[in-house]
Formats: sequence, C-alpha cells, structure tokens
Amino acid sequence: MAGSALRRLMAEYKQLTLNPPEGIIAGPVNEENFFEWEALIMGPENTCFEGGVFPARLAFPPDYPLNPPKMKFTCELFHPNIYPDGRVCISILHAPGDDPMGYESSAERWSPVQSVEKILLSVVSMLAEPNDESAANVDAAKTWRENRMKFEEIAAKTVRKSLGI
Amino acid sequence: MPVILLERIPLPSLRTYTSLSVVLLSCAVFYAYQCVLAFQTNPHNSDLNGAGIEHNVNIGNSKEISDILNDPDVVKEPLPSEFDIQLPYESFWWNVVYVLTSEIWCIWTVVNTAYCCLILLAKLIQKAVFGELRVVEKQHLKDKFWNFLFYKFIFIFGVMNVQTMEEVFVWVAWFSFLGFFHLLTQLSKDRFEYLSFSPTTPRLMHMKLLSLLGFILFSCMVLLCACTYIGLHAGITIFAFMAAECLILAIRCLHVLGRYVIHLYEMNVDGVWENRSIYIYYTELIFELSAISIDFGHHLHMLLWGNIFLSMASLVICMQLRFLFYEFKRRLNRHQNYRRVVKNIEARFPMATEEEIKDHNDNCAVCWERMESSRKLPCGHLFHNACLLSWLEQDTSCPTCRMSLSEGPQGDPNGNVPDETGDARPNVPHPPHPPANPQTTNHFFHFDGSRYVSWLPSFSVEVTHTQLLPHGGARLPALQTSQLDNMARQVLSVFPHMPVNLVTEDLRNTRSVDFTIENILEGRLEAPPPGTLVTRAAIGDSESEEEPENQVCIKIISGLNSVYLFIKKKMLSILTSLLDLHLHWSL
Ligand SMILES: [Zn+2]
Ligand SMILES: [Zn+2]
Repeated sequence: MAGSALRRLMAEYKQLTLNPPEGIIAGPVNEENFFEWEALIMGPENTCFEGGVFPARLAFPPDYPLNPPKMKFTCELFHPNIYPDGRVCISILHAPGDDPMGYESSAERWSPVQSVEKILLSVVSMLAEPNDESAANVDAAKTWRENRMKFEEIAAKTVRKSLGI
Repeated sequence: MPVILLERIPLPSLRTYTSLSVVLLSCAVFYAYQCVLAFQTNPHNSDLNGAGIEHNVNIGNSKEISDILNDPDVVKEPLPSEFDIQLPYESFWWNVVYVLTSEIWCIWTVVNTAYCCLILLAKLIQKAVFGELRVVEKQHLKDKFWNFLFYKFIFIFGVMNVQTMEEVFVWVAWFSFLGFFHLLTQLSKDRFEYLSFSPTTPRLMHMKLLSLLGFILFSCMVLLCACTYIGLHAGITIFAFMAAECLILAIRCLHVLGRYVIHLYEMNVDGVWENRSIYIYYTELIFELSAISIDFGHHLHMLLWGNIFLSMASLVICMQLRFLFYEFKRRLNRHQNYRRVVKNIEARFPMATEEEIKDHNDNCAVCWERMESSRKLPCGHLFHNACLLSWLEQDTSCPTCRMSLSEGPQGDPNGNVPDETGDARPNVPHPPHPPANPQTTNHFFHFDGSRYVSWLPSFSVEVTHTQLLPHGGARLPALQTSQLDNMARQVLSVFPHMPVNLVTEDLRNTRSVDFTIENILEGRLEAPPPGTLVTRAAIGDSESEEEPENQVCIKIISGLNSVYLFIKKKMLSILTSLLDLHLHWSL
C-alpha cells in the first residue's frame, strides 16, 4: 500500500520543487517520513490576508492518493472555513462517497487526480473568498458577514503575527 | 486507569531488577555449591552407605552399576545428615544443578533468572534493531500484551483447567516464549510500516529488521519442533493446541516478510510494475484468510475439547469464534466486491490501443507514472488497470471527470460535462459537529478466582472512570464518511438490532467505536421499537410474521455480546492493574 503512495508523493515533491507555484512552498517535514508535509502559504494579494505567511501541516494516509490528506494550519487563523484548531474545511479534502448531510455533491470531493498543489491552491482561493454558509468557525463567519471592518482588523493582526512582528 | 494505587507502586528499574536477580541466583548457586561440597567432604555417613548403593542400583543405569562394581570407592553417595538430598550424579557441577532444580526456592530463583534473561534479550533486541520506540509502537505492544495475557489466562484456567502447579508452570513457560515472539512480530510490523513511509531508509536498517524477522521465523520452526516432541508424549490434542499457536505466529511473521519483500522490490525497481497491486492484494488475502481460519479452528477445538459449555471461558471463546467468523465473512465479501470490480472492468472498459496511449501522451493521473498499457473509460480517460481497480473498489466514477461508471441505466456521457482540469472547488464548507459531554460511569466487578483454580484469590473491584468524550466537534478532525461507515459497520456487527442511522449519529458524537458500544451497553442509546425503524420497514411486509422470533434471537445475541464485552473489558482492566509489571523495562 504505502509503496505506491510513497512513489506518488516523491513525484509530487519533485514536481513542486521543479516548478513551484506562486505563493506556495511545500515539502516533507523530514526525509524519514514522507507522509508528513509542511507547507507555507502566502496570503493572496488584494485580500485582507495579503503579506502574511501561514504555516500548515499535511498528513497523508497510507493509501494516498485514494484518500485525501488531512490539512491543518499551525498558526492562528481567524477564518470562516478554518476550525479554531487550524483544520481546514474544504470540500476536496473530504473523502469520496456520499456526504451524509447532503451538503456536497460527490463532484466536489476528493479524487486521486487531485494533488498537494491543487489542495494548496484551493486553500489560497479559500483565503481570498471565504464561504460563510454553515461555517467551521461560527464566530469568524458571523464577523465576516456582519462586521467586515472588524474581520479585516483581526486578519491584519494575524498577518503581522505570522510575520513575527 | 482503574486502579491508580498500583500505578503508584514504585517498580524497580531494569538495572535494579537484573542485579537483584543476579544476587539471588548467585545465592542459590552458592547454596547448592555448599550443599554438594559439604556432602563430598563429609561422605562417610556409614549407616547410610547401603542406602546409597541401593539408590544407585535402582536408577538402573548399567554403566553406573559397572562403575560401582569396578570401583567401590565411588559408592560414597549417602545422605549427609544436614541436607536432606540425594545426589544422583557423579560430576560435581551436575550435582549443583540437581540441587538447584530440586529445592523449591532455588527453582523460583532459576525461573526468575530465566525471565530476567528474556527481558534482557528483549531489551538487547530493541536496542540493536529498533532503537527508541515510537509512541504508537509502545501502545500497540501494550495492547497486544494485555490481550495475549487475557486470552492465555482464559486458556490455561478456563480451557485446560489445570490443577497442579507443574502444569501451570509448563504452560506459562510456553506462553512466555510465544508471547515474546508475538510481541516481536508486532513490533517488526509496526516498524516496517513506519519505514515504508520513507525512501531514504538506510540499507542496514532493512537488513536488521529482515534478519530479526528471519530469526522469529526460525524460532517458530524450533517451537514447532518442540511442540511435536511434547505432542508425542502428551497426545494429539495438546499438539494441536500448541501447533496452531506456532502456525499463527509463523503466518503473521511471513505476512510481514512478504509485504516487506514486495515493498523493497517496488522501491528498488525503476519504471512501472503494473501488476504490483494485484500481487499485494493476493498476498494480503491469502495470509489474512489463512490466519483467520487457523485461529477459528483453534478456538473451535478449544470449545469442543474443553467440554466447558456454560462457563465464562466458553462464552469468551464463543464470542471470539463469532468475531473470527464475521472477520472471515467480511474479508470474503471484500474479495467478492474485488472480483466483481475486476470482472466489470474487464467486461466494460477495453484496453487502450498503443495509438491511443501515444495520443494521450500523459502519465496515469492516479499514480503519476508512465503508461505502457492502460484501460480506457467511456469518457475517454486512460488509467492503469491496477490504479483503476483500486479506485473503483471504493468509488464508481471516473477520477478525472467524475462521470458515473456504475452499471445499469446511465446518463449520456456527453450530458455530464467533463471538467478537464479536474479543478478544485474550494468553498464548500463542512458542517460542524454537535458537542458531546463527558460522562462518568461506575462498575462493580467481582472476580471469584477459586472457580478456576483453588489457589487463585477472589476479589471485588469498583471501577470509576470518566469518559473523555470530545468537547464539541471544533477540536477534532472531521470524520470522513467512509470512516464513519466503517465504524458503523463494526458497531452493527456487534449490535445487529440497532438502526444504522442511530449508530451513525452516535458515532459522529463519540468518534469511537468503543464509546458507542459502551453507550449502547449502558442504555444511553436505545433502539426504538422495531415497528418504527425505517430499515426494518423497508425489508418489511413479507417477513413481518417472523419478526417476533427474530427479535428474540437478536436480543439474546446482543445480550450475550454485552455480557462478553463487559467481562472482557473488566477482566482486562483488572489484569492490567494487577499485573502491570516490568513492561516498561523490556519494551
Ligand atoms: Zn497508474
Ligand atoms: Zn473521465
């Protein structure tokens, strides 16, 4: 099982180092375990997260790419689609099969053609455009909807914190 | 968890224990040495001379007799008055050994030394092969250890129903070796799985682990020889019991070895090894099925031979049998599904021609490797046969364009607009999970040891434990649907009468099969009366007359299950608390 996953992860790592997409750096935490990755995501331009650098961790299952990795920000991030503990809530990170709640059609879920790069790009676009319907962080969703000024203020604080200022 | 007191008892460190054992052993040897010495320097207890000759003759060793005849001086082996021992051997050191194995406190010292050696050996292997153990490995070892202890305890006192100290002693010795190798196999398996996460593991590490597995396999053979030898004396039943254990161990070890070899081959061969996953699948299948069937036979044998119906041991064994049976069935079902998918793929998706592959001019989207041969889906996407197979085992759509590939009536492929880039749609959030509260439960447990063996103690324990249920979904990773289904299936195999939706709902709160089972056992989660069940109503009408009978059966089965689960859990926790010795040294 882990053999094919390992080969695929190595291929993805190679591709990410050869053609790094803009605003994203990702790679295994250490050589000993290719199933634990670290990623740095720059806040997208022209959004309230602009200028920030947000570290995250990805944990891959042994049957990757049949099942999606788990992703978690290791810094504080006040965002409607990020749980207070840092877990990212986006549809492509959800395992295939039907959604018990009926919120997502299977087309939006994980499939083996997705990759680390695509996940991270989706996260970037999620940072740019939060979705406040049935949010992961209710507080953030409420603030985003009702008090945009305050949300941007908090975001600016997060950005400064992420840069260590 | 249950008995905090025992965790507070300071256990000596391995160093202290070893030195204590060495001191004890040297005391014993010194004692034996003195015995023999005093005996030989003071041989002429004339009135016992005759007895000595008689003793030697009784042994009936003709060589000894001739020795006695040739050299009457040798026959000076009477009993010295201060030691109540007869020395049968002529060699000084053999006599020392004889004394060591005949005095009761010396025997215990020797046994203690043997365990000390075993622990030291385990420590040595750990240092040499594994280095520092990871947390998961420690946890698995602990679980395995207590589980092993529990079942062997049941076996020795429930099935074999041993009465004498000697028998207990022999069985315990046998299971100590067996358990030692089982734990080593478990550890090797965990470590192999971890190593397979890295492409840069040094060759030496692989060599070490492989040779350890070889050593375990060799030891299995030795143990098998040992039990053949014992079986010749003790009968076919004992042989079957022991051989089954050996075989299970050997199969587990071979399983790890097989996976290891395939993994190494896979990592060191460049290019595509297309049939890889098929080999892996069948290796797993064969090993799993054979291990389960041997285990099943072993337990069935115990149940039939032990003549122990209506005892607690039989209950435990029955439940184990039931578990193995379901495990077997589950595996077969999975295989059926696998065969179905294979057939389906072969029938409906033709192999792509070389031209098509050339036109496609891309790697397989699942494994990102070059395509030498591939299957073509109706939507025009190409994949490796094996990659497609493993994906279709869990889903029924094209990985790239999500077109439904399920059999039966299908939509027009063109109506389902292919999303060529396979673009991610990021902004669909997942609903948060409802919170659950921590709960406290009490159990009063009474253990009557004298029911098994007269010298076992009886005691009662009251166990209070707080379940640390998650506080709100926000803290924990969302459960994947497939995971949830899997867990629900596990729960339902134990409680077939519970409705699926209720179990799933509870699982979503507890995130643990154990917690949900406990919730059901303790009545926090109750099945509504059968009439109201959707699932039941759906199967319904034609069978409605049989329903009461079915209900009774189901109730009995689930009742037995709950009793078994309760007993096992309590026994384990009590064993854990009573016998939590030395584990953290050796492992
Ligand atoms: Zn492939
Ligand atoms: Zn397709």
